[in-house]
Amino acid sequence: MNLSGILVMAKPESHGQVVAALNALEGVEVHQVDAATGRIVAVQEAEDIHAEIEGVKRIKALPDVIMAEMVYHYLAEDERKYEAMPPELIEQQDGFETCAVPAYLNS
Amino acid sequence: MGLSRRDFLKTSVAGATAATVGMPLSKQAEAAVKAGEAGWQWDKGVCRFCGTGCGIMIATKGGRIVATKGDPDAPVNKGLNCVKGYFNGKINYGKDRLTQPLLRMTDGKFDKKGKFVPVSWEQALDIMEEKIRWALKEKGPTGIGIFGSGQYTIHEGYAAVKLMKAGFRSNNLDPNARHCMASAVVGFMQTFGIDEPQGNYDDIEHTDTAVLWGANMAEMHPILWSRITDRRLTHSKMKVVNLSVYGNMSSDIADLEIIFSPSGDLAIQNYIAREIVKRDAIDHDFVKKYTVFATGPYDIGYGFRPKNAEKFHTAAEMEIVKNEQSHVLDKWEAIGQRKKEGEVVEQKNAATPMKDWAISFEDFKTAVEPYTLDYTAAVAKGDPDESMEDFKAKLKQLADLYCEKGRKIVSYWTMGFNQHQRGSWVNEQAYMTHLLTGRQCKPGEGAFSLTGQPSACGTAREVGTFAHRLPADMVVMNPKHRAYAEKIWNLPAGTVNPVMGSHFVKQMRDLEDGTMLFSWTQVNNPWQNTANVNHWIKAARDMNNFIVVADAYPGVSAKVADLILPAAMINEKWGAYGNAERRTQVWRQQILPPGQARADIWMMMELSKRFKIKEVWGAQKIPGSNEGLPDVLPAAQAMGYSPEATLYEVLYATPENKKFKWPDNAVAKGHGNHVCDLLKDGWFPEKALFEEYRKFGSGHGHDLAPFDVYHHDKVRGLRWPVVEKNGKWVETPWRNNEKYDPYVAKGSGFDFYGNNGNSLVMGDLDKMGDPAKKVDISHKAKIYFRPYASPVEKPDANYDLWLCTGRVLEHWHSGTMTRRVPELHRAVPNAVCWINQKDADAKGLKRNDLVWIESRRGKVKVRLETGGRNRMPRGMVYVPWFDEGVLINKVTLDTTCPLSKETDYKKCSVKIYKA
Repeated sequence: MNLSGILVMAKPESHGQVVAALNALEGVEVHQVDAATGRIVAVQEAEDIHAEIEGVKRIKALPDVIMAEMVYHYLAEDERKYEAMPPELIEQQDGFETCAVPAYLNS
Repeated sequence: MGLSRRDFLKTSVAGATAATVGMPLSKQAEAAVKAGEAGWQWDKGVCRFCGTGCGIMIATKGGRIVATKGDPDAPVNKGLNCVKGYFNGKINYGKDRLTQPLLRMTDGKFDKKGKFVPVSWEQALDIMEEKIRWALKEKGPTGIGIFGSGQYTIHEGYAAVKLMKAGFRSNNLDPNARHCMASAVVGFMQTFGIDEPQGNYDDIEHTDTAVLWGANMAEMHPILWSRITDRRLTHSKMKVVNLSVYGNMSSDIADLEIIFSPSGDLAIQNYIAREIVKRDAIDHDFVKKYTVFATGPYDIGYGFRPKNAEKFHTAAEMEIVKNEQSHVLDKWEAIGQRKKEGEVVEQKNAATPMKDWAISFEDFKTAVEPYTLDYTAAVAKGDPDESMEDFKAKLKQLADLYCEKGRKIVSYWTMGFNQHQRGSWVNEQAYMTHLLTGRQCKPGEGAFSLTGQPSACGTAREVGTFAHRLPADMVVMNPKHRAYAEKIWNLPAGTVNPVMGSHFVKQMRDLEDGTMLFSWTQVNNPWQNTANVNHWIKAARDMNNFIVVADAYPGVSAKVADLILPAAMINEKWGAYGNAERRTQVWRQQILPPGQARADIWMMMELSKRFKIKEVWGAQKIPGSNEGLPDVLPAAQAMGYSPEATLYEVLYATPENKKFKWPDNAVAKGHGNHVCDLLKDGWFPEKALFEEYRKFGSGHGHDLAPFDVYHHDKVRGLRWPVVEKNGKWVETPWRNNEKYDPYVAKGSGFDFYGNNGNSLVMGDLDKMGDPAKKVDISHKAKIYFRPYASPVEKPDANYDLWLCTGRVLEHWHSGTMTRRVPELHRAVPNAVCWINQKDADAKGLKRNDLVWIESRRGKVKVRLETGGRNRMPRGMVYVPWFDEGVLINKVTLDTTCPLSKETDYKKCSVKIYKA
């Protein structure tokens, strides 16, 4: 489970619609609203980290949202399964100590 | 409370988020936050990534970083983080951290062609010692060099300057900041005589206009961008203009987007100046009291090898490189430089591009006269699918903003200006428009050079880890500056080498032509970040030299090295950074480095123990000086130094420095220091070096507060000059302005004191006049005229596209850290080549096709992207450089601004075809 605390800024006059739109998104709950400044604190629960990033993009794309940034991140205990590495880095990881200059540098 | 664990966690996350951005907490949330953080120890820190310098709070538990958050008390970011900043805590924990030294060996002995084998620190230092001795014997002090960094801590940079300049007497120390900020530095030094912005980030909340020139702030400085966005939505007069060579995320809230051609910015700024003059929007009082008009030579080359280039370049490369000797003016250059099209111009000032002289206002007017709207639009229109009329209307709107009396404007730029074949000129032009209209050094008004790296300002520039610099804007070529440094460092007169060392690209060329034999890389990735890198990979692997790379992860540079040293990362050591608004910020060691990884400062100090002054302070031969370096040993002995004294004793563990004791609980508050634990001699190097370094700037405009002041719980960095007033250390928000700057005399209004004591020879637009006729420019800034000059390599029938390179939001520089954070890697796993759909169609290519992108210098494979965040005009592609699997610097051109020696990564010619 991944939890992120997201600050969403809405145009003050339309914060009501934005709160409703946020609550309608799967995995998103609005926890606090400052109507005067249009600031909204939402918490998003996501299956994995990819979904978490995609989730924020989805919030940014909502109408009348000026800004959405992840502010707080709960470091999930089951993160091991997400520690995937770029493939070319994995290659060198299995025997980096014995590898010479990787072929792709010499092409 | 009756909450499930999941609900409890959510309340806790919401509460922490609200607290971070300064929203009031509900009682329930408050309790949840406290319970969720049981056993966590929070401390203040600084973001590891860009030059914005956001404050972050770091939580540790059981020797690990368990959470980070934006620091609500940090004035820069007020609790916010961008996506990179958000994952600061994870960069230390990649699976392939380097944890032991690795040496290329065969049969138990060093072999340049061998495979990497783990060795002890003792063995690593042994081979470094042996190879440095060999390089010094063969080539003298210039045979060794360090690739330093704008990500050095202040202490590391200072230790490197001392080791090289005072110890080994070599000026071959140059940071990757050369690739990023050098043009900004020349702009500041030539215009104001003192480095770094006068304004600060609070300008955003004071201004009416933000003009971005080649700075995609939405991606590269997102937190500053959030402040601009805020201002745009809350201040009705606020306008945002985005000038760029392609459409990007910063255009999304811009009122005006101007897509210009590569180097078209030179023409556009002169057009604005011309309009300011024509419409008499000049602030005459400001210009008269505080400025002088100036210019310099145009025939300054392109920063290639000055001679024998044909020995190192292919015939295809020489088609471009030959311009270093002579250049044929094109139509637009001819008009902008008042010359004839087709004229062959010998580049006579390639070795003296910094030359400048004063001109009259009448001459300045004559110089900007050719930059009419018609001319400028023809030169600078960057999108072939935009109509000339539309583009002209936009240029006029831009000029209207600069000419509007009473409108506050901040111009921002980063790599678009700095990484530019005429980068120093284009920086100076930004001051030109601001100084002409009196818009500088005032809240909400100023030309503001944003910085790329977290301590490009604090370390690379202020400490002076450049080949020509000493701390506090001093330079090795100036005898008074050398004497000043020798006094603070307690060195015999004549120790410091007076000949400028090799800049970053030149160090690579020195390795290629065999004049440098030993190279040490610290806190950066030169074999990924340097343009035309095929040459440098070959130089490292095929020449008889010894390459040492200290890094936290095995990046490209580590892989081409002979010896890899495992480096400690941020929060594994004490440190300090200085951001773009002159704010010096510090952090404590939070966790231990893994395995045998060590701080760079420890590596330098351990190495310094192996050299005695009698080995390095005797007479030395150096290229570029007939007399060489003098024997200073007799003078050293007269000062009480034994010839047997080590560089460690003379440079670092001096009696003065050893007075700063470790442990120092008043500052450390329970935090450790692995460097002290390893040195085992009871002093506190980071504090001692900072206090010594501080002496350079105190009393002449670069003042810093004492080490302990920055570590105070309430302090979130201080903007220099920081001077003591009634027992308090007071920062300076705006420099050169009487209201804010203690160095400006009361009653003077503004004072550009950086130029005090300087003078210029009077001349005309073409040449310097009688050297006897000098103009005193004390208290004044220079308004330069700099002409349009075309890019040295332009698309042609064979290489038909422009290539621009840069960063993406999610990754930092060469990606060695951010690609190891799974979240960031997942977000942007690989570099892609952004291309206009019509260009792709014309070549029979489509999105996601794997293509070769090829220049005269090299080629790489990359996937095409026609959508997404960047909107390329026809004729231009963009490839970010973070991905070592798409090593785009094999393709780029190593042309530099001749003044700043900073590479132009923003324009060269390529072709694209299906792989």
